[in-house]
Amino acid sequence: MSNNFSRRDFLKLAGVGAATSAILTGCGPASRYVKREPYMLMPEYNYNGQSTYYATTCRECAAGCGLVVRTSQGRAIKAEGNANNPLNLGKTCARGQATLHGLYNPNRVRGPIKHKRGDRLYETAADPFEDEFKDADSNMNWDDATQTVADALKKYKPSEIAFLMGTTSDHLFDLVADLSTQTGITPPVRFGALSMFESRATLAKAAENLFGESGLPFFDVGGAQVVFSFGANFLETWLSPVSYTRGFAGLREAQKKQRGKLIQFESRMSSTAGKADEWIPIRPGTEALVALAIGRLALEMRGGPLPRAFSDIDPEDAASKSGIKIETLQKLAEMFANSTGALAIPGGAALGQSNGLAVAEAVLTLNAVADNFGKPGGVFFSALAPNQAMYQRPASVKEMQDFTKKLADGKIKVLFVHGVNPVFELPAVLEFKKALDGVEQVISFATFPDETALEADFVFPDHHGLESWGYQRVVTGSAQPVLSGSQPVVSPFYDTRATADVLIAAAQLAGGKFASALPFKDEVEFLQSKVAPLMSEADGFFSAPDINTFMAYFQQYGGWWKTTDARLVPTTADIFNRSLKATEAEFAGEGEFFFVPFVSPTIAEAGANKPWLQELPDPTTTVMWNTWVEINPVTAEELGLVDDDVVKIVSEAGELELPVYRYPAIRPDTIAIPFGQGHTAYGRYAEGRGVNPTDLLGGHFNEAGDLAFAGMKVKIEKTGKKQPLSRLESMMGVYGVGLGEEK
Amino acid sequence: MIKRLFDWLKQPLGLIAVGIALLTLFSLAAYGINYTQQAPAQPVQFPHTTHVGFGIQCLYCHPGAAKGPAAGIPTEAKCWGCHNQIAKTETSLLLAPLKQSVESRTPLEWVPVAQVPDFVQFNHRAHIAAGQNCENCHGDMSKLTVAENPQVFNMGFCLACHKKVAGENHELLVKLTDCGTCHY
Amino acid sequence: MIRPEEIKMSTEETGKWGMVIDQDICTGCQACVAACAMENNITFVGEKDSGYGRSMHWIRIERFWEGEYPEVKMTPNQPMLCQQCGSATCEPVCPAFATVHSQAEQLNLQVYNRCVGTRYCANNCPYQVRSFNWRDYKRPEPLSNQFNPDVTVRRRGVMEKCTFCIQRIHKAQDTAKSEGREVVDGEFTTACAQACPASAITFGRVDDPESLVSQLARAHGHGVKHLEELGTLPNVTYFKGG
Repeated sequence: MSNNFSRRDFLKLAGVGAATSAILTGCGPASRYVKREPYMLMPEYNYNGQSTYYATTCRECAAGCGLVVRTSQGRAIKAEGNANNPLNLGKTCARGQATLHGLYNPNRVRGPIKHKRGDRLYETAADPFEDEFKDADSNMNWDDATQTVADALKKYKPSEIAFLMGTTSDHLFDLVADLSTQTGITPPVRFGALSMFESRATLAKAAENLFGESGLPFFDVGGAQVVFSFGANFLETWLSPVSYTRGFAGLREAQKKQRGKLIQFESRMSSTAGKADEWIPIRPGTEALVALAIGRLALEMRGGPLPRAFSDIDPEDAASKSGIKIETLQKLAEMFANSTGALAIPGGAALGQSNGLAVAEAVLTLNAVADNFGKPGGVFFSALAPNQAMYQRPASVKEMQDFTKKLADGKIKVLFVHGVNPVFELPAVLEFKKALDGVEQVISFATFPDETALEADFVFPDHHGLESWGYQRVVTGSAQPVLSGSQPVVSPFYDTRATADVLIAAAQLAGGKFASALPFKDEVEFLQSKVAPLMSEADGFFSAPDINTFMAYFQQYGGWWKTTDARLVPTTADIFNRSLKATEAEFAGEGEFFFVPFVSPTIAEAGANKPWLQELPDPTTTVMWNTWVEINPVTAEELGLVDDDVVKIVSEAGELELPVYRYPAIRPDTIAIPFGQGHTAYGRYAEGRGVNPTDLLGGHFNEAGDLAFAGMKVKIEKTGKKQPLSRLESMMGVYGVGLGEEK
Repeated sequence: MIKRLFDWLKQPLGLIAVGIALLTLFSLAAYGINYTQQAPAQPVQFPHTTHVGFGIQCLYCHPGAAKGPAAGIPTEAKCWGCHNQIAKTETSLLLAPLKQSVESRTPLEWVPVAQVPDFVQFNHRAHIAAGQNCENCHGDMSKLTVAENPQVFNMGFCLACHKKVAGENHELLVKLTDCGTCHY
Repeated sequence: MIRPEEIKMSTEETGKWGMVIDQDICTGCQACVAACAMENNITFVGEKDSGYGRSMHWIRIERFWEGEYPEVKMTPNQPMLCQQCGSATCEPVCPAFATVHSQAEQLNLQVYNRCVGTRYCANNCPYQVRSFNWRDYKRPEPLSNQFNPDVTVRRRGVMEKCTFCIQRIHKAQDTAKSEGREVVDGEFTTACAQACPASAITFGRVDDPESLVSQLARAHGHGVKHLEELGTLPNVTYFKGG
């Protein structure tokens, strides 16, 4: 080709060439490039191109909502709520919708792996959206894996064997609990970040103190007229968000009755406070005072003798300490006193303080003023699930600290981890990761390559929830006792195996009392043995004469539930006569800002690896794909900060750098950071994104053993750096328009 | 350079050369088009004519057509349901791939011939429900051995029929010529 | 050019399919957004592109602020999606006739194979509910296993928007026709309405006075149609409540 051959000529010739090849290849039917593989054996009820629907249970959190999953040609393509399930009545939250992004996540553990602690479980690359993050190959087979588990069971003393579980299906928890009672291994411990931020232990303990029995209170928001919520963020993640959201819709239902009111006491406006008719930006730590003051004022308005529980509080003092005007308190007390259906709910950050138990007790006692125990729109004990003798709450962080200490001291020789990611979720000060050094063998059953699996010697992946058998006890949110059932909706995508099957097989191999503890052929047989007793119970949604038919219905309807309201009425004879401590919370640390970590409603504890959950805008700030710190605009101005300025947050336990989001609905003396991001593993979409606020948390507890996660004070330091946040509401940061030159 | 090339092309030898080049190009294109329009190779040289000849209904093997969007290709289990009772299956060379597939439990990979273009959502059931017969679009299968497509399924083909079916019925015409009926 | 006196305010329903959204009970939980993405094969675009406003949400939940701390209020969450206007501003500006009005279903269509990506329609949409495929965003294996076979997978250079789950409309109509009956109200609904934990979204036939969506519209009586003063004849009614 000579130099005279111009670019224009080249384009002419190239054009002819392109046209020719287009003629030659473009006319053929596209079919030439498509191959179709029919089923070898198609299930009878299946047709090509026709969807098949399976009922199962959502495993994105512990609530246990029923799902109906649409499948087509053997692939799950959409999750919907199960309309029959009394807990969610056909509805789902965003995390339930995105469960398919877990099933088809590009980074999963693909088979059993013998693994060097700290080694990666997938390769890293630069760009999570363009590059391949190849998963580690499986390097052992399942026979060896089962043998490894059997050896571990045989080799150590029962007391040196421990199971740590999380959003594990309840049937597996029951299996391990049975194994524990019959062989003497350490009883399984259950933990989850959501229960930590919900302060479940505090709520249960307060109920026990007040009502004399342990259980998880149920708050009938839907039947109430006025709801006072002290920190309970029940529209986002608290306990059973789908069910409580339905309750909220009931509260608002205008046709039936007068539109119900919601008053939220919170230092930072959550979605729940955003929906409230009134948001009271209470000074953190004074919730107990305010609850008691409202109670006293309400009782005084009604007249009559003041009971002991409310006699010690001075409303003026409570008003000045909480930063709420006394007139406001009086107005609220009047509203509470005059309503025909008032309800007070304690929860979340209000309980995660040094005086959390006192707050919970004070707020629960406030319900005595409304006399709503066991009445519509009032406080109940949640109905116990069908095969549940008593409410078993997840471990509090204090209990986890003790457990961690046992690990560090070498008292546990082999640790099995399933469905929980303590390396990521527990506060860094507990040093869980370091404590694993004291454990000889860590065996993880993780489905995803999470931080805890990274610290394991073996990873024996369980199926994803949609590939699994099981059942989930619904501990709260439904008036009826509900056992949500799971069944595989698709065949396993990778070389994973059900942990229950592995344990049953390993127990047989280990022989002795292990073999006799789990005398089952497989997981399904075990499941049947647990579900069979329900056949003889009355008032079931369905009944069947034999176990096979019963199990078929159990799968078809997605579980078993009673048709009767089984919420228990708390015993409240003495409730007014207790003396309640009207104390303020103490705050750890030096700084000038109250620190409120909250669970991201879209990402929560396990959503960070699901790309569509990452791309859902946070309901209050509309931020996507990252972590931010919320600072009141007035405070930000005083500090000379604007949106996207990176600040360093320093607590007594650690420090974090993250960008500022000026949030108009937060107290000027408070900052808030969402929990959910900051992973160092967990797949391409989670890793290296945002920060983890648990790094800032100190090891302070309330009297019930829950972490005082909202009981810290922190400092803010400027770094001079910028990091634009992706926000649905504005593109200012990324385009660099107006950066640092607002107004 | 390019000018000298054009000068050379204008002399008789050049014109012949251009002629030969065009002819080659044309025959290649003709061959290519012809090639792409032939029925693709299938794993089994499936004789539709024989099966239809036995009186087997289309919907017996392609039941999806009456139930949903895709007619579907029968499973090997369905083929085998009849063929394992037929002695010829053991010996026939034609049926060897089927036998092998069933024994090794690996599905046969068929190449679909009746394809609509991209961006079209086609639904068999609606057409069956409207009283259309399979052969209206797929031709007379009783005369075909290996499946091939009697016509290219393009928008003209679809719309011609839709308009014919609608006839004077204005409401139906609106529905059947609406973009959203097929494209979403 | 429409003169003000020519603008029709939709005192009575003109469309066929419509929606009623109760903002008073919408909690902004994003379940509808996730459900929509899962149903309609909507791609995620990643942190950088979503920061540039290229995220592909067909439905988004708007919230605004009123007042200043401590009297600050979050306005009722407002799910914003294509209003399926009876007289849509996106339609006349498309040079390729890719955004056409469905006469049969009274919806605004987006015909992907006609779309050439001028983005005029998005510029002309007063609700800002159209999203454009700026790139071929990757959905690595095996995420693509989740694709809904009833919905086209769009590629770069194509505009897209809410279809009122037209694939579900067709499916219900086909089923009803095969069974020789009419579509029953409540037989199917859109992905967002099906997921909504508060049941804030109701979908149905607005031209049928007996349908739930029509009944709700009457029962509340104080519904708002956004920007209807532009003469767009939107088919989504909002209740602010409170």
